[in-house]
Amino acid sequence: MSTTTAALEPVFTFLSYSYATLETSFYKIPGSHVIARYVRSSHQNDPGRTVLEIMLFIFAVRTLLQSRTRADHSGKHFIKFDEKEINDLVEEWSPEPLAADLTPHEQAELAAVPVISGPTGPKPKLITGKTVLNLASYNFTGLAGNETINEKAVEVLRKYGLGSCGPPGFYGTQDVHIQLEKDIADFLGTESAILYAQAFSTIPSVISAFSKRGDIIVADRGVNFAIQKGLQISRSTIRWYDHNDLHSLEQVLESVERERRKKNLPLTRRFIITEGIFDHDGLISDLPKLVELKNKYKYRLVLDESISFGSVGRTGRGLTELFNVPATQVDMLVGSVATGLASGGGFCAGTCHVVNHQRINGTSFVFSAAMPAMLAVAGSEGINILRNTPSILTTLHENVRAIRAILDKVDAITIPSHPASATIHLHARIPSPTHLSPNAPPSPSLSSSGKLSNPLSVIPRDPPYYDYDLEEKLLQDVVDECLAQGVMVTRSKTLRKQELAEVRPSIRLAVTAALSRKDCEKAANVIKAACTKIIGKRR
Amino acid sequence: MPSPNSRGTSSPIALIPASPTASLFRKKSPSAMSTAASYLSAVSQADARARKLTDADSTTSTPALSLSSSVTSSSADTILNETSFHANDDGLSYPKVPPTSEQVFQTVHSEFGHCGNGSFRFNSGHQKGEPLKGVEEQEPPHFVLLTTYLSYLLLIILGHIRDFVGKRIRPAAYKHLMNQDGYMALNSDFDSFYTRRLKMRIDDCFSQPTTGVPGRTILLLDRSSPDYNLTYVPTGTRTRALNVSSYNYLGFAQGSGGCADAVEESINKYGVAACGTRLEAGSLDLHVQTEALVARFIGMEDSLISSMGFATNSTIIPALVSKGCLVISDELNHASIRFGVRLSGANVRMFKHNNMEALEQLLREVISQGQPKTHRPWKKILLIVEGLYSMEGTLVNLPVILELKKKYKFYVFIDEAHSVGALGPHGRGICDYFDINPRSVDILMGTFTKSFGAAGGYIAGNKNIIDRLRVSGHTGTYTEVMTPPVLTQIMASMASIMGVAVPQDNKSVVPAHVLAYPGPAPSTALPTWMPLVPAMIDGSDGKMRLRRLAFNARYLNRALRRLGFITFGHDDSPVVPLLLFNPGKMPVFARLMRTRATPIVVVIVAYPATSLITSRVRFCLSASHTKEDIDTLLTACDEIGDLLDLKQAIGERWPLKEIMDRAVEIVNMKEMP
Repeated sequence: MSTTTAALEPVFTFLSYSYATLETSFYKIPGSHVIARYVRSSHQNDPGRTVLEIMLFIFAVRTLLQSRTRADHSGKHFIKFDEKEINDLVEEWSPEPLAADLTPHEQAELAAVPVISGPTGPKPKLITGKTVLNLASYNFTGLAGNETINEKAVEVLRKYGLGSCGPPGFYGTQDVHIQLEKDIADFLGTESAILYAQAFSTIPSVISAFSKRGDIIVADRGVNFAIQKGLQISRSTIRWYDHNDLHSLEQVLESVERERRKKNLPLTRRFIITEGIFDHDGLISDLPKLVELKNKYKYRLVLDESISFGSVGRTGRGLTELFNVPATQVDMLVGSVATGLASGGGFCAGTCHVVNHQRINGTSFVFSAAMPAMLAVAGSEGINILRNTPSILTTLHENVRAIRAILDKVDAITIPSHPASATIHLHARIPSPTHLSPNAPPSPSLSSSGKLSNPLSVIPRDPPYYDYDLEEKLLQDVVDECLAQGVMVTRSKTLRKQELAEVRPSIRLAVTAALSRKDCEKAANVIKAACTKIIGKRR
Repeated sequence: MPSPNSRGTSSPIALIPASPTASLFRKKSPSAMSTAASYLSAVSQADARARKLTDADSTTSTPALSLSSSVTSSSADTILNETSFHANDDGLSYPKVPPTSEQVFQTVHSEFGHCGNGSFRFNSGHQKGEPLKGVEEQEPPHFVLLTTYLSYLLLIILGHIRDFVGKRIRPAAYKHLMNQDGYMALNSDFDSFYTRRLKMRIDDCFSQPTTGVPGRTILLLDRSSPDYNLTYVPTGTRTRALNVSSYNYLGFAQGSGGCADAVEESINKYGVAACGTRLEAGSLDLHVQTEALVARFIGMEDSLISSMGFATNSTIIPALVSKGCLVISDELNHASIRFGVRLSGANVRMFKHNNMEALEQLLREVISQGQPKTHRPWKKILLIVEGLYSMEGTLVNLPVILELKKKYKFYVFIDEAHSVGALGPHGRGICDYFDINPRSVDILMGTFTKSFGAAGGYIAGNKNIIDRLRVSGHTGTYTEVMTPPVLTQIMASMASIMGVAVPQDNKSVVPAHVLAYPGPAPSTALPTWMPLVPAMIDGSDGKMRLRRLAFNARYLNRALRRLGFITFGHDDSPVVPLLLFNPGKMPVFARLMRTRATPIVVVIVAYPATSLITSRVRFCLSASHTKEDIDTLLTACDEIGDLLDLKQAIGERWPLKEIMDRAVEIVNMKEMP
């Protein structure tokens, strides 16, 4: 026994010597004392703790080393195949065609789209050679084709060229963009504004810049497609309230608050998202009540004024002017330069913090080229004209009243739109066995039945019944008939399978100040006759 | 046909007052934020060197006024607006070497540089059958890696210290980051840490306001920041700088010339707006004509245009794929592609950037495994790649992808945002570059912002696919249409690249073989009112642009490597990333460039657009740059590269002088050893 110990003596000596050397050299490394102290304090005479620490360390290293693009072989659903089997499977697999061919119905729809030859305007000429009254294009204030704007545009072309050739962060920000942002902010009365290159891409970007996973969004059931896409991309928790029904909104806000208290959830960002004038039916939101509710429940209000900006209010400032609510009460006011000012692009107005945050986090702001300088100047000039000529909006609203006066009396249609809205939607009125009160507008009144809709679902409790295909066909016939009579109107086009909730087919009129009252009445009478002739026949 | 000079009065609108003093000696604007004394001295040294060099070079230059014959009358505005009227030491407004009597240049030198030397041209194209070789990506020395990580560590620690102290000393400044009054902060201090504490330090290098044409040179509106980049105050002065930042590959960003004349005509005829969406009475005849011309240019059956490049991807991809489909995406694909894929609801798998082995392995796995959990076969698999990657300068390996496509039956979607116009002997993009029939690819997407000086994007493919996208994509139903001036710019610039086939007499039709891809555009495809200058009709203008861009791209790529810099990407790429690594070198590089005697504006890119360590500066070349401009850029890079110790590449190095003298030889080398 002792001989073995003696034999091993040099080994022990060597071991203890090398341990001592290791220790001294370890302590020579700067910062090693910290590590030693950490190990000592974490060990605390408990080997289990050390083992746990080591495991954590290994796990961290492993996670770091794992590549993002690594193929996932570890899942329990992974089936191992050998090379030959894979080859067979590859051979066997046959994909669907990339795009399904158009159905005859879709082909007809595409063929029925009117194409304007030459400039658009109140009385454009179509490629068929026919000159028509235009109640289809978004040209509320008649700025399209304005001589002053065109002259300015040519000047800008000579000075700036056409494209901005870069995203705003990389030398794409031109003085004219800054100017238009300032003009919009001044016009609306907000601290600041930010320009996007396309109106449709504005609000998804605004929503996803602020609202993240876990945040709460309370949205109207009837919001437009762009907002729906924003909600989808934000991955936030979404609660729905009945279309343009602020009682329902209050109930939803109350229930969210109750839930938060009950589960003792932490505070998250909360938003109410709705539209000024709804793209789907022309209803107008009750802004003062909205502001009251959002202040009461401490939400932030995102208001999409894509249609209302440039079409309501004394000078076209939109809903805030119509209801005399300061625009600063709306946290993120989104609008369209393309629709409202007959140019291109969209904007979001708000406080400096709101705007500057988007300059770094607004996806379609950061990753897209800035809008052409010419369009920015056209926008600025448009604001100038609106400021200085309040008569434009007066004319527009007179035209709206003139058209409504005629169409409101037509039996074959119902008009859900608000009387002040410059977009007028026409629904076909067909008696149907299940829908007893065809006079009622589609959804708002339904929640008054007493029972609440489920805020988790976009579908309201008693969804209105209508025959989608039949109504769509009748309305398209009306559109075709109107076109034959020299009035261009259009169905409100929606992507039926992609919209979250089905949107009732409608004809959407966009009234313009560029037409005289007489022309408007003439056009309205043509529409009236077409509706009576085609839809009335069915009744 | 009106001549280019026949346009009416065009007084420039003065939105920003011009510099009050046109001083004889160019004053350097103190716009850059100096952080250390060493940085200041470095600036002055670099400046002095640059001045010496320019003085020596410009001995032969003649006074500016004698050059008026070389510019068109339309450039008068530009000349009069020029702040440094007397100083032409930078060669930005007028060429340093005056043109000879035979050379007549139709462009404004500050927009599109005068280059009469026919040897500074090159044809872009790939030798068929040869493998695609990118530049070998060199690793930096370990010392650089270590200091880069340490820099970030230091920045993060300092940032946290500043936050900790700041919150206690000046709580008001942090108020918007805190929950208050029952509202959660819109942007928490944690989420915004990177922006506030890292980006803010170098924020003066981003979002610089500019004015005028973003062409060969760009006019910067100088600004200064009194509060460390929190806010900016315009100083009122303007600086003209050499522009290697804007996406202007073919130099169509011009306020004068054939395209601008066509656009002016269209504004007079069509106005600025088209109002509405394509399917709701917003369609003009111009849209139909442009789509037909784009399809012909790309070599596809049909095309669809969209008013915003980003939205082309984000609104069209959801119409192509849906739940049950798989998208295979390159890991470095653009944000718009990711946005679109996320909206589509399809599954996504990524593969290592441009790595064809990884792609094949992934394909074998996903096809054999099928959909997750259910193992049902995928409905379809769509591979989305970019033609030219804008942050890397790498080209997609299209020949290999098409080989794989035959075997694995997936569909190919190529985002040609940067490659269309910029690559290929006919400028038709990546397919043209590899001499591949474009119809062997399923979908070619691209933008008009970069090569055509316009805005918006397109999707090209078979007619049935495009028709489906017209009906089911979000573009047709919900997005505003492209405006007439933009449409005209697209048509005019495309016609300029393609050339126009005019029938001999009015009755005869241009034979089909003349018009076959990649042939000229038939004159019937263009609006009758569109003015066309002869150089556009015979295609010589477009040819010149393509060949100048190809020369510039190859020259800069190869010259930078000869100087010893680490660059990424392919030799023919007009996007040239130069690796800086250390975050601290980014702002210094940009500021030194901007404050030189000949100011140069550059784009610096860092995390999160790149990986943490590969911070870089990115040059975007243009056909409008002359060889002298590239030399100016190289000289600047050489000096600053020495100063910042950037020349870390291994391999043969040449002195700058030799590189500049042997430029043509460098470019024409088949492969640079």
